[in-house]
Amino acid sequence: MATTATLTLASADIAGDPVSVSKIATLTKAGSTNDLDQSSGLNRVHLRSTANKVLLAANAEGSDLAAKVYIINKSDDASLYLTVTINAQTIGKLYGGDFLFIPWSQTDIHANIEVAATNWTSSTGDIPVEYALFHEDTDFLTNA
Amino acid sequence: MATTIASINITSTDLLSDSLSLSAIATLTTAGSSTGLTQTGGLARKTTESASQYTLFAATNYTDDKAHKIYLKNMETSAGLYFLISIHDVEVGRIYAGDWALIPWSADTTSDNADFKITPSTSASHTLEYMIIHE
Repeated sequence: MATTATLTLASADIAGDPVSVSKIATLTKAGSTNDLDQSSGLNRVHLRSTANKVLLAANAEGSDLAAKVYIINKSDDASLYLTVTINAQTIGKLYGGDFLFIPWSQTDIHANIEVAATNWTSSTGDIPVEYALFHEDTDFLTNA
Repeated sequence: MATTIASINITSTDLLSDSLSLSAIATLTTAGSSTGLTQTGGLARKTTESASQYTLFAATNYTDDKAHKIYLKNMETSAGLYFLISIHDVEVGRIYAGDWALIPWSADTTSDNADFKITPSTSASHTLEYMIIHE
């Protein structure tokens, strides 16, 4: 039941020599070689709020289990960005077209992943956001 | 202007009852513009031999509130060895052996310094590869 995530980073001109990074990870349960077996599927929402909205609600039972989060800002407008926060701490901003792929500890019920369309106005249009969560089944706290 | 392309592909033939294939390509640009990011720390490697927390990137060394990107890869092969990623004092998550992450980072210094930190799971040797691409 393998799920793999492949990343490529490439630039011919950001440094004096080309940058070319290509890595593949098989998504596994915490401290185990067993594959992650749960997913939220690919979700899509349209953000039209400058206030933080809960994209993924933390489940305290998932604390320190393995979870991976993918989020992409699907806006074509490079200036429209999402501010991504965990537990009220700003992690970073995703501008139009940017994506992230991060681990998520769900340390407690306050560790929600929240997003805000910080510079949205009624004239900018909505920001389409797609996201997916890959995780362990928190109902069965084993790595079997 | 430099051009840096990040692409991701997530696939599974058996996680769901239908095949999963998700892909995206992003050109890494400066905040709110179509101008490519022009700065990088280069691909680096760090081996730790302590379970203490390390500051990988100090927010004060980077421009506040920008479109920085951080790549991390846990180079270990033993499944139990992980790095805990924290920003300021908030835990983001753990990258276990073989895992990688691509994380936007604001380098926020407005309230607290949003330093980017890693904590190895044990004092055994842990090796991390990492790179920042920034404004």
